[in-house]
Amino acid sequence: MTDAPRTLLALMLVGTGCYKGSASDGSEADTEGTGADGTAGTSGGTPEAPELGGVGMMGMRRLSTDEYDNTLFDLIGDDTRPGSALIPEDVADPYDNAFANQIASRTLIEALEQLATESTARLMADAPRRDQVVGCQPTGPDDEACLTSFTAAFGRRALRRPLGDEEVGRFVALGAQYAAEENDFYAGVAVIVRAFLQDPEFVYRVEIGTPTDEPGVSRLDDFEVATRLSYLLWGTTPDDALLDRAESGGLATPEDVRGAAQEMLDDPRALARIDRFHSMWLGYYRLPHAPELTDAMRTETRMLIDKTIMQDRGDWRTLFDATGTFVNDFLAGHYGLPSPGSDAFTWVEYGDSGRRGLLSHGSFLSVAGKFGDTSPTQRGKLIRKRLFCQEIPPPPPTVNVDEPPPTVSSPCKIDRYNMTQIDGCAQCHELLDPVGFGLENYDQQGRFRTTDNDLPECTIAGEGAIDGNTFSGPAGLSDLLRDEGLLDSCIVYQVYEFAMGHDVANDDERYVEDLVTSFAESNYRFDELVLNLVGDEAFLYRREEEV
Amino acid sequence: MAIRSLNRRTFLRGVGGVAIALPTLEIMLNRHGDALAGGAGPVPRRFFIGFHGQAMGGDGDPLRDLYRPDAFGPNYDLKAATMPLSNYGDVRPDVSIISNLRIPYNNSGPGSWNTEFHLGALPPLLCGVSNPDDSSTCRGPTADQVVAAAIGAGTTFESLQYQVQPSWYLTDSAPYGRDILSYRSDGAGGVVQVPGQTSPRAAYMALFTGFVPPDPSEAAEVARELARRRSILDLVDGNISRLMPRLGAADKIRMQRHFDEIRALEDRLAAIPPDATGECSMFADPGADPPIGGNNASAGGDGFDVNAGYSDEDTRARIFSDLIHMAFTCDLSRSVAMLYTMAQSHMNVNSFTGIPYDQHEVGHSVGTTEAVSQILAWQLDQFAYLVAKLRDTPEGAASVLDNTAMVLLYEGGHGLDPATGDENRTHSTENMIVTVAGRAGGFVSGQHIDGNGMHPVNVINSAMRAVGVDTDLGEVVGTLDGLI
Repeated sequence: MTDAPRTLLALMLVGTGCYKGSASDGSEADTEGTGADGTAGTSGGTPEAPELGGVGMMGMRRLSTDEYDNTLFDLIGDDTRPGSALIPEDVADPYDNAFANQIASRTLIEALEQLATESTARLMADAPRRDQVVGCQPTGPDDEACLTSFTAAFGRRALRRPLGDEEVGRFVALGAQYAAEENDFYAGVAVIVRAFLQDPEFVYRVEIGTPTDEPGVSRLDDFEVATRLSYLLWGTTPDDALLDRAESGGLATPEDVRGAAQEMLDDPRALARIDRFHSMWLGYYRLPHAPELTDAMRTETRMLIDKTIMQDRGDWRTLFDATGTFVNDFLAGHYGLPSPGSDAFTWVEYGDSGRRGLLSHGSFLSVAGKFGDTSPTQRGKLIRKRLFCQEIPPPPPTVNVDEPPPTVSSPCKIDRYNMTQIDGCAQCHELLDPVGFGLENYDQQGRFRTTDNDLPECTIAGEGAIDGNTFSGPAGLSDLLRDEGLLDSCIVYQVYEFAMGHDVANDDERYVEDLVTSFAESNYRFDELVLNLVGDEAFLYRREEEV
Repeated sequence: MAIRSLNRRTFLRGVGGVAIALPTLEIMLNRHGDALAGGAGPVPRRFFIGFHGQAMGGDGDPLRDLYRPDAFGPNYDLKAATMPLSNYGDVRPDVSIISNLRIPYNNSGPGSWNTEFHLGALPPLLCGVSNPDDSSTCRGPTADQVVAAAIGAGTTFESLQYQVQPSWYLTDSAPYGRDILSYRSDGAGGVVQVPGQTSPRAAYMALFTGFVPPDPSEAAEVARELARRRSILDLVDGNISRLMPRLGAADKIRMQRHFDEIRALEDRLAAIPPDATGECSMFADPGADPPIGGNNASAGGDGFDVNAGYSDEDTRARIFSDLIHMAFTCDLSRSVAMLYTMAQSHMNVNSFTGIPYDQHEVGHSVGTTEAVSQILAWQLDQFAYLVAKLRDTPEGAASVLDNTAMVLLYEGGHGLDPATGDENRTHSTENMIVTVAGRAGGFVSGQHIDGNGMHPVNVINSAMRAVGVDTDLGEVVGTLDGLI
């Protein structure tokens, strides 16, 4: 079961020569600080590395643009999501948080400074919000007690760990200088907020921990664990409750972490994060449609994820087996489904329409297009890469992938694509195109069609094939995914890569394979997958990246 | 904190070659004070390199391009792609077109690529270094960086990189270097990518940092804000220094890069701003950036979002052009690289061509040279706009354009695709064209020049010579006859 993708791959390797496997392969120097020392479970000498191993490499991770905007909202209530306009676009490959792709540049530094300046200005212009962030009423411009209490509390939230007195003092000194110069307490607050928003420990999730008896492996402190948890489950900074839990030693054991995570999954931010993971996994985080249609498609998929993972706490594979979907009148009309008679998204059964689950959602069907239409090749590639976790090698050097399928005597797409099944192209196209042709009855907006666009003479058969199995439409492909057990381990690898910001490597193998097993044992509950991920001992450790 | 001051020697050293004596150059006198005391001195030269991710024709169209004039020499004729050169009071006298250029492929010669066009052909064009494995990234520094190192010292921005197209626009792939126009040496034999600034507004704020408004109270607030920024960065800088020793080796490298950029920003804030007088002036805040368009997975039809895959690049390019104009005029920078569209650009070109496709697929799916020429014309108008602005800005007895060398590169030509052996293809580096402007150092303008099968980098080499940088880029040796 767990080896299904690789077994399949091995067979294909023999058959085609076109594929290769993918998955096989201290103490606080700032001496006055209280941050990294005194961590429960790690005091009293050198901690031991986890017995089972599986500690993956972890580098310093910059907040992705999405995480940055979430964090700014949670920290100071800025809901303008300004990061995406200024921070250089994150590389989505397919996840936007791989640390190897995060290279500092002048553009980044300028963006961080400007974002800090402008976000702070918005905060200062909004007195109720400002007062909430400051947390005390100053008696005057020189109220250093209020400035200090604000700095200590805000600093803990911004840097996700308590600050030492001397550290607080440095920020307070800066603030006091400007409060005095400008005779305005809040002028001091503003420079302090701006400084925190550009601090390296705000911009990056820095993990240091304590070295263990295994070279290169460190035990994280509880605040670092809280931060890992929070960005994985919520895509944002830990809240005060989570930081309190860390401070009181409540994240010291895998059981503690699992317990905390269980509570965190009930927060709406967990659904948003899980939704985002799925959208990056399958590539529908942006859609090429008008806003109303885009929003409707995203809502449809998010509600199915919510129902399956969060409400029913059921088998995650049901996402692909769902016999109905959430639509409103607008989206039902778009798909040609029975109208629910409401602007609100309402469950409608698919009946015998041939649709089933996420693979028949407009979100998924919109992703892989080319040449102004659906692309069976691109859809096949998307399905193999993301749903089956297969590595698709680049085309051979003698192939021009931007060449539209040749014009033949028949104008029909299937006949034109069949012409690519010759010569050097065939090896890969015969693995990709038949998969995509199985979904060809669904256009690039997810609508059912029986003929090629604008070509009534070209009837679409909608028959697909993959590795010796034939299927028809989303329902057929979903059955195949379920029967072959292909998704079961693939999704685990995907979640792990999203969580850790890098591809699975040898050091991660034990950890990931245990997750594959426990996922099956939990009857494929996604919430259990996440809890098992954070509840593994290896989650509390990091392996230093080799230079 | 190390303050990099503007110093006389670096300023003078950078300006080699022919000096144009000026009676007074008010701006520079104000800015550089003693450097130009005596009333006359050399004028800085400026270098611009632009890139448009576009080939010359449509797949299968035997019409090579609608760009090359019919005859070589001056007063060349305009075609569909080049018609915008007649805009802005006709910039043709200031612009030269070099046709019949080619980049060798099949790994055959200096600065060559192999067969995979979109990835492989880009690095040889940008850095002149051969790319036998069709990697998408440069193995040597790009011209803007070579020039910046030679003549940029002492300016606030040793080089500037702007990027008009802010997004890759596809959600099922990533650019892998097709969005990078600039590479600098890392000092250890390798290179570092220098991504462009994608926000016109951020670029505006950065360029005009410290400019002193005429109103005294506004001026006082500007000075206070500058002081705040410096104090804040000083604290951030100290915190990085304290953090650094605690990091592992790999994180340290990452943080050092961040730290270097913070230090560079501190240096820029410490630089003496130019007086906003004479031709050098701070123009009005362009306001919020146009929103960034979403995915452009080649959708068409009735649900098509005309803003999918489009971020109003038209407006963005205008603002960046205005900024480059001032960067040169105020001598804030002497080397600018501007990426108009990415290599293999997936920008939606509907708004200015009426073709609801992404740019890349116009060349392949629409496949006509006429359609492609609309995309070329759109961008060439942007280039002409910048040329005209520099032309219309007096500098002593001449214009800023007279002290500038500008190079506009295109991703491809039209002809043989070495991957397939087919002719009349966009995936080709046959029949390439490079367009240049300016007259720095005897750069020749107003001509259609025969490239005689030479490498586009020979044109870049000529432009580098024009600004006094006697260096060949990568492996491609020499200048182009008749251009300088």
